[in-house]
Amino acid sequence: MQRRSFARFTLATAALVVAGAFAATPASARDTVKIAFIGPLTGGVSVNGIGGRNSTDLAVRLRNADPKSKYRYELVSLDDECKPNVGVQVATKAASDNSIIAGVTHYCSAVAMGTVDVYHKFGMPVIVWGAVLPEITYGNNHKEIHRVNGTMVNQNEVAAKFMTSQGYRKWAIIHDTTDYGKGHNKYFSEYLTKSGGQILGTFGVTADQQDFTSELTKIKELKPEVIFFGGLTPLGVRIRTQMDKLGVKAQFEGTSGIKSDAFAEGLGKDLAEGSLSFIEGAPWEKLPGGLVFTGKYAQQKYAEAPEAYGPFAFAAANMILDAIEKVGPNRKKVRDELNNAKNVDTIIGKVTFDDHRQNIVPLITKYVVQDGKWVVWEDSEYGKGKRKLMGR
Amino acid sequence: MSMQNSNSSAAPSWPLLTGVSVVGVYAHFLLHAESQIAVLGLAVGAILLLIAFSRFGWTARVATSAATYPKLLGAGAVAAVVLVAAVSYEMHFALLMLTTVLLYSTVCLGLNIQFGYSGVVNFAGAAFFGIGSYTAAVLASHSPLPHLLIVALAGLVAALLGSLLILPVLRTRGHYAALITIAFGILFKTFLEVNDALGGPQGLKIPGMEILGWKFNDNIAIGDHELSFYLNYLVLSLALCAVTFVLVRRLERSWMGLSMDVVRLDETAAATFGVDIARWKITAFTLGNGLAGMAGAIYGMMTGFVAPNNFTFGDSLILVSIVILGGIGNPWGILPAAAIVLILPEKLQFIQEYRFLLYALLVILILLFRPDGLLPRKIRNYFPGDAGR
Repeated sequence: MQRRSFARFTLATAALVVAGAFAATPASARDTVKIAFIGPLTGGVSVNGIGGRNSTDLAVRLRNADPKSKYRYELVSLDDECKPNVGVQVATKAASDNSIIAGVTHYCSAVAMGTVDVYHKFGMPVIVWGAVLPEITYGNNHKEIHRVNGTMVNQNEVAAKFMTSQGYRKWAIIHDTTDYGKGHNKYFSEYLTKSGGQILGTFGVTADQQDFTSELTKIKELKPEVIFFGGLTPLGVRIRTQMDKLGVKAQFEGTSGIKSDAFAEGLGKDLAEGSLSFIEGAPWEKLPGGLVFTGKYAQQKYAEAPEAYGPFAFAAANMILDAIEKVGPNRKKVRDELNNAKNVDTIIGKVTFDDHRQNIVPLITKYVVQDGKWVVWEDSEYGKGKRKLMGR
Repeated sequence: MSMQNSNSSAAPSWPLLTGVSVVGVYAHFLLHAESQIAVLGLAVGAILLLIAFSRFGWTARVATSAATYPKLLGAGAVAAVVLVAAVSYEMHFALLMLTTVLLYSTVCLGLNIQFGYSGVVNFAGAAFFGIGSYTAAVLASHSPLPHLLIVALAGLVAALLGSLLILPVLRTRGHYAALITIAFGILFKTFLEVNDALGGPQGLKIPGMEILGWKFNDNIAIGDHELSFYLNYLVLSLALCAVTFVLVRRLERSWMGLSMDVVRLDETAAATFGVDIARWKITAFTLGNGLAGMAGAIYGMMTGFVAPNNFTFGDSLILVSIVILGGIGNPWGILPAAAIVLILPEKLQFIQEYRFLLYALLVILILLFRPDGLLPRKIRNYFPGDAGR
């Protein structure tokens, strides 16, 4: 008898739980639409990948919370490990799944190079959010491939012109031997010689090198006014520290790769002071949408920072969501809608795709470290003439 | 003769067929599992199944049956792969994963000859795999050679470049020999990164395979149905893997395999008995590298892109871990181990940045409970059945 009543009780509880689960589901008639995010979530550059993933996730969450949106969105995040073969694998997974309408894809250039053909083959429109190699958009004519961030070409043109206008003439270049560093070396050298700068020496180093004594000793003999560094934060911190130890007195100029809080924190206030970085896009901190982004990002309590390319992923995701809202969850229609993007307002400024679906970035923002923080050049005491860069 | 007959009548073939079917059905569900619940359910299911099998003595029955009918086991495995592939004929991703497992298995069969049989440690498996991919990239883009020939040439180039290492590998033993191959792997990747002729760090595009006008990268249309183009690569990879497997098994059973085993177990004893140590080490090393190169060429053509980042030291370790997880020296262990190592991290994508943590934990657990790998190597078996031991 007792056993039977226990069984009844269990059944009743189960029924209640099931009923509760049904009641808790919002009674909305919105169809679910999937979009993908692909980036490096594990490995050496996972900080950037996770920042991009969180930013994309934020865009999706905000859209789902918006009562006016026609669909409920679901984000499928995939890890490309910054490896082309894994990239091709996950790209195939996303692109061959017809329920995924579009994607916000890739931080690493080599991975993006490997996957563009996959997206083209399966007809899935994507927007690249972080990879900077020019050939990703210009090396093919695939209608599916878009890019919101600028290429390293834009970045270095501005960097070279800016530095020569400051009166610098003699450079030494250190770059890492990855696609990122080599590309920066190539384009910066090209624009620098055009704007009248002189390169005294170029040094390639591997991305995990620890000791730069031999390179820096040679550079010390060459007496450059500026050391240009093409590479990412960890290497930049090491080089700048060892420059100080060896007494190399030169202005330190980096690329978008060192514009991270970790750079300023890793070096400390004094050493980081005056370091320069150039990054594509409008200074999003100053745009009204940008503040909303940082505010909402903080609200969601992600454990990791959005990092330098998070805003690009956020902008890309929003462009895709807008396109789906407008033309419906259809890959071809979304592709055509994205192809024709002109002067779209995003948190990185206006986005216009050219004939290769590359965003013609209107602006490169210059940053300088002032008192341990990256500050937009024009707002800094350097820009206003109160402080001076080294040797000026 | 009479012994063989009595064996085959003693051990029925149905446990073997059941075992192969269970593994096949399981592989099918694993390949198609997308939701978290499905993947978790399958993981728990596998553990329960394994426990049940050993609890009721089914494992032993399947093993006896497999030992009695080795040919049936081979045919069954091929049939299972073909069936799983046929069922998912339009699922591009499932077929890509299945083909990747087959190609990695081929490389690991090569590694198995190297350190499973003759004891030559090779921590540069990914480098030789990469040499194959790069050879395919260069030859397919710049020469009119037929693509099947390119695959063979890729194996040859990998074997040739590997012969650079023969002298140092012969002169060193144990950890030192391992260090040499590690150095070679790193050297290979760095060389590719600074070498612009081979695409530098950005890598190279590889044209898809084409045999006698049959384009591997086009979907196959039969009537109204469209089959995934990955089926082309799957068939080719299955053929390569099966041929390699037969080769490895024959090698193991022959006097060559016996000599290699002696070299691995005790070099001094081998030399005393007149076994040419250098000869067998060179044979194993070259053969293994050649297999890695051939698999690499097909893999490169399938993914259409090759870059140095595909072939890091970490990837070489993955290859080594497949061999160890499967059970060093037993070619049968490689296929399930490759499936676990390659498919599991992929299926754990839903836990994102934590997936390697969980995956590593699983591998440690497997090795904790089965320290000799999933299917440990048994003593050489010259006659079918248990009595041959």
